[in-house]
Amino acid sequence: MLRVVKAGLQTSIQDAGRPGWMRYGIARGGVADPVAMMLANKLLGNPPAHPCLEIALTGPDIEFECDLSIAVCGARFAMKLNGQEVENDSVIQVKKGDQLGFGPLQSGARAYLALAADMQITSVFGSQSTHLQTGFGGLHGRALKAGDEIQLCNNHQSRGSRLPDKYRLRYTGRPQLRVIAGAEASYLSQSTRAEFYRTTFEVTPQSNRMGIRLKGAVLDTSTLPQMTSSGLRPGTIQVPPGGQPIIAFVEGQTIGGYPRLAHVIEADQHILGQLKARDRANFELIELEDAHRIQREKLNRLQSLQQTQP
Amino acid sequence: MSKSFSLQLNGDSAVDIRFDEDPSEPLSKIIIGLQRSFESAIADNQWPEIRELIPAYQCLTLCYDPLLLTSADGVSTAKLRPSLSFMEKLRGFVQQKLSTKNLTDLAIQIRTPELVQIPVCYENEYATDLDDVCAHTGLSREKVIALHSAPKYLVYMLGFSPGFLYLGGLHQKIHCPRKQHPTLRVAAGSVGIGGAQTGIYPQATPGGWQIIGRTPLTLFNPLREYPFVAHPLDRIQFVPITASEFTALKRENTNHLLAVTTRKK
Repeated sequence: MLRVVKAGLQTSIQDAGRPGWMRYGIARGGVADPVAMMLANKLLGNPPAHPCLEIALTGPDIEFECDLSIAVCGARFAMKLNGQEVENDSVIQVKKGDQLGFGPLQSGARAYLALAADMQITSVFGSQSTHLQTGFGGLHGRALKAGDEIQLCNNHQSRGSRLPDKYRLRYTGRPQLRVIAGAEASYLSQSTRAEFYRTTFEVTPQSNRMGIRLKGAVLDTSTLPQMTSSGLRPGTIQVPPGGQPIIAFVEGQTIGGYPRLAHVIEADQHILGQLKARDRANFELIELEDAHRIQREKLNRLQSLQQTQP
Repeated sequence: MSKSFSLQLNGDSAVDIRFDEDPSEPLSKIIIGLQRSFESAIADNQWPEIRELIPAYQCLTLCYDPLLLTSADGVSTAKLRPSLSFMEKLRGFVQQKLSTKNLTDLAIQIRTPELVQIPVCYENEYATDLDDVCAHTGLSREKVIALHSAPKYLVYMLGFSPGFLYLGGLHQKIHCPRKQHPTLRVAAGSVGIGGAQTGIYPQATPGGWQIIGRTPLTLFNPLREYPFVAHPLDRIQFVPITASEFTALKRENTNHLLAVTTRKK
């Protein structure tokens, strides 16, 4: 069992989410950064999408009531186990009674705490992910609170292991996100489109798992037609009448009515999970075939890690 | 009859199959019929790359796995021009389905649309913006309620949030603009009008619609066998109830975790 001593800002149980339910208004949800989740699980020999804790911006203090191995990947916090510094990207052996504290955030936005154990959490629509917006899944459909206890079973120790240096995730807070053109982009003037790709946008504090709200050049939306609501995929960059783009994210609404300027490619969407207020992002327009090629390349890189790991 | 459509990229892992005409029940029957055709083919392993389908007013969004694309001859085209072959296969399939005579029947054959009656209390504490709607429309409360509860609204699709129904058929006389400043928290079950649309907020969220009533029903319950209260192409009718009926139904729902809906053919 693990006990939440201090909850942190938004600590929640997540896995790869529940795809396949968008036609009912249920977003896929799950981890905002699937790459970090996969790497943490890989270190422990877990299936890549084994349920873990997503830890955002301010981390928790957690007490473990059993022996097990854990691993943390993604955002870097000043982590301490029983007051001793521990690091991301390697297996940490935990003994019953040990306490893990997350300390101040150093880079990125979300860390993933993977466990060599199963959390005894009921699946909803095939997933243990917490749908924070609606309040179902995970532990009582909400972020963890001080005093919460998560029952664990099949806890075990896995062999010590660390990620090779080139797989250790680093975040600049200034990503360049690759996009393909959106359906309504051609309605914008040439100069407005150019302005979008020239602009460095700032991530606002109103950003969350539903959407990432950007601040920057106010785009001229006067030439855009009224759009009829249709399926809204994560990564879609919409431009509402105010002219400030919003990137739909993992718990975003499933049907949207704002014009679509561009879409962050699926292979780069994990970067969105590491954005926090005051980070800055640029966008680069690429073709569909390139987007698919990039996705294949990233997957190959992740899979070749699995081959070198024991 | 062969309907024209276009394919439009919706990101790098989805395509919209779009119809260039106004939303209507016949169009929705085609869209849902097309959705059913894909589902049937998917069950037959004909489309391993498809992840899910999202119907909407004028299009069907088809979400796919870019790393599983196949072409019409079934060969994985990862090395060639995969997206082009996939689009061709998609176009061919849609064209073929649209030219079959019974596509619109397919939607209702698989599931006969139902009439779902939703109890709504339009009384004071549940109808926080009804007076504003009356002021805007120049109609009395009774008239607004009568116009709102008369139609059998068509369910075009579900979406936005779990259990939210996109309805068509709001009477023009009670169209009313959204609020300039959305309410921070609209109660779950609130029934509202936003522009030419009407609907129900399944969960408590911020909301910009004018709230004219509330239903005691739970619109989304993950524990129910069918977690929602309606399917696309169903019809919804709002049935006015009193505040004490509301309280009674609300209590009943809390005990049984079931939606109380009266379904009539």
